Amino acid sequence: MAMRDLVTGGAACAVPGSSSSSNPLGALANALIGSSSQKERLQEIPTSSLNPSGNNLYPGVVDPMSALPGSELEHPLHQQNKGSEFLNGFHAANDNRLGEVWDGIQNPQVPHFPPGQPQLQPELNGPPQRVLSSFLHSFVNSSHGGVPFGPTQLPVLGLSEGDKRCIRDRSSIMARHIFADRSEDFINGQVNALLSSLEIDNQGMARGPMPGRYPELEQYWGESQAMPPRPHGPDGWADEFSQQRLGQADPNAWALSFERQHGAGGWASEFEHEQRQMTSVDRMAGTNIPSLAAMEQTRMLAHTLAQNNNPKFQNSKFLQFVSKMSRGELTIEDNQVKPASGDWANEFQQQYNAGPSNWADQFAHEQVSTAPDRWADDFANERVHHGPVDEQWVNEFSKLEVNDWADEFGRQVGEGILGDDTADNWASAYDEYVNEQTVLKQKSDSSRGVYVFSDLNPYVGHPEPLKEGQELFRKGLLSEAVLALEAEVLKNPDNAEGWRLLGVAHAENDDDQQAIASMMRAHEADPTNLEVLLALGVSHTNELEQQAALKYLYSWLRNHPVYGKIAPPELSDSLYYADVARTFNEAAQMSPEDADVHIVLGVLYNLSREYDRAIESFQTALKLKPRDYSLWNKLGATQANSVQSADAIYAYQHALDLKPNYVRAWANMGISYANQGMYEDSIRYYVRALAMNPKADNAWQYLRISLSCASREDMMAACDSRNLDVLQKEFPL
Amino acid sequence: MASSDLKSAALLDQMKTHFSTDAGKALIKKIGLVYQINLAPKKMGFNEEIYVVDLKKGEVTKGPYEGGKPDATFSFTDEDFYKIATGKMNPQIAFMRGKMKVKGSLSAAQKFTPDIFPKPSKM
Repeated sequence: MAMRDLVTGGAACAVPGSSSSSNPLGALANALIGSSSQKERLQEIPTSSLNPSGNNLYPGVVDPMSALPGSELEHPLHQQNKGSEFLNGFHAANDNRLGEVWDGIQNPQVPHFPPGQPQLQPELNGPPQRVLSSFLHSFVNSSHGGVPFGPTQLPVLGLSEGDKRCIRDRSSIMARHIFADRSEDFINGQVNALLSSLEIDNQGMARGPMPGRYPELEQYWGESQAMPPRPHGPDGWADEFSQQRLGQADPNAWALSFERQHGAGGWASEFEHEQRQMTSVDRMAGTNIPSLAAMEQTRMLAHTLAQNNNPKFQNSKFLQFVSKMSRGELTIEDNQVKPASGDWANEFQQQYNAGPSNWADQFAHEQVSTAPDRWADDFANERVHHGPVDEQWVNEFSKLEVNDWADEFGRQVGEGILGDDTADNWASAYDEYVNEQTVLKQKSDSSRGVYVFSDLNPYVGHPEPLKEGQELFRKGLLSEAVLALEAEVLKNPDNAEGWRLLGVAHAENDDDQQAIASMMRAHEADPTNLEVLLALGVSHTNELEQQAALKYLYSWLRNHPVYGKIAPPELSDSLYYADVARTFNEAAQMSPEDADVHIVLGVLYNLSREYDRAIESFQTALKLKPRDYSLWNKLGATQANSVQSADAIYAYQHALDLKPNYVRAWANMGISYANQGMYEDSIRYYVRALAMNPKADNAWQYLRISLSCASREDMMAACDSRNLDVLQKEFPL
Repeated sequence: MASSDLKSAALLDQMKTHFSTDAGKALIKKIGLVYQINLAPKKMGFNEEIYVVDLKKGEVTKGPYEGGKPDATFSFTDEDFYKIATGKMNPQIAFMRGKMKVKGSLSAAQKFTPDIFPKPSKM
């Protein structure tokens, strides 16, 4: 199940030729918009006005200590509107007594539900679209009442498997947002009730690997098995190789030590994968090479490697390296598709022709520094990570990062590792090749910062996507807001406000790359927008890109109607931090009551790693704008980076009280616990953040590190396959 | 501006203060090795800035190690070190791709993992 489907909705969501209001998820979203939500207390949209302070929508400050994450559930934040009878019912959900909740769900009378409350289950008849829409609507409404959602008998709706999967995935994510202040059990109860009514199986579908997902590979494997023997027999190759290796003391020792640690058997299962991959590599290569000889050569090599049973050989670095390469390094870096296979195969052939001994030499000379025991893990993880989609592998291959290859190669040639004449023969060919690749690489670097749209967006065609996006954002449904805003900027690519809010939503969703990309577009559309300039400064600071950050922060000052005149224009060409900081301090002295200037100053001090000053600035700003959740998070992040993790957690908690769906703050919580060595705790927060935005890649990486530090290798597979169901069950918050 | 424009310098600064915490002290106990890190702004081997992460004494210093031979010396580009320290790239893969060069003891190099570095929080 592709991760992005969770958020964007699968292909089956789009009812052809229909607008969003006639597809089930559009209907769910409409239901969200149409209903007045208690979530509106959460926040206003960060405004683009200069002094947005003073919009205090919320009476009374929640005592931050009374509401640690998870514990806020025991203090429902909206008690004033609810009868105590209802609270009893609600507590049932919060005390993790799932049984009780479940009983409540099963009993259509909803025992704790006082008479007089509006009837939440709507009439369920009419055409299927309508039924589904009102049914989903009632699901959303159940969040406002905090009432367990009862399964209902529905007429036959004729949902396809794709529809069901789509509804299931998106409803579970949305439920996490809608019920952000409820317990896990409550959320699961709600979602299960919804899904069981729709006869959607919550467990089985689409999560596990698809059956028979390697049919093609099996076929290739079969073919390669059937290949007649070649002049270079497998044994000859292996012998040659091991002779080479025996000549070198180092690699031999390495292989031995590996065997001591693991025995040859540990490789068996890995090897199976490799065999499949190898054969399909050469197949792929083969289809792109006109020369039959080349095809046979490469296939030959892969076949030979796959056939050889010598444990020493299987453990060899050479095989590992080749198999790594064969998988195109499985890079997750740029999603640049490179026209690789043909080139790759040619390279391979050249090297093969140059003689295997060069290869062996090269590797024997490489210094051994990697931890052998980690290799097996790496292999397995990468497999799982990339496994689930049919033909995934083939796709991976087409993204093959040839330049890595070339770099490696060029480097070694440059160092003269190969040392003999044969190296020269292909060195020149390689130089050319490397140069080409460098150009390609530069291109791909400059394409960084290009916004990546979700491929299926139910809001496309919506009459007023911006308004819808703003509503969704206000309600804290960040991932949905992103979709609506994407629809807006697709419709009006020059709408600075659409891009800006999209950037804010991404930043709060803990996705800085996308945040930067959208803010850049907002900046293009409106180069003097102060909010945008500040946001760019912050995002670049987060990415530790100091010069870029400094540039944007200084333009903020330059474009400010009040402070603009104290900023000398000649600075903007060559920025020195000290000058910029001095000017900002002047500005702060000019108007000490302007929270914004203190915020920018705080970011600036973060950049120079003067954290104490940064904290001071943010604290000053917070006195002026105590309700700004992103400001609390900025304070927390600064404290965390200056190793005041306990204070940081307090500040994050403040941010989360003001905005329970603030994914970035949840992820930051995890970071703070991890930096204090409290890995188990950090895992829970990362998982929470990921449940709200499964696209937050940083959090996945950090989760992985924390799992390994907490010695929870048992959960590593779930992490690598991004199986949130398992992780949430194992690490409830 | 801080003394260095490198991304990694920010991480290493944070590492410096990290040693004063319990988690940082646990690290010293667990690893107890000296790593020298050569960071190149763009291309490996050029204009390198050298840092020593001393996991014996709990120090991060700029310049080559002066207490003898470091247990292991690594060379990276700035970007790649940042990726490794934040878990975006696996050290083994980095090595295989030639994005990380290592000198020194094998067992010392094995202990060089993303979890020894504190993670930057985001504003």
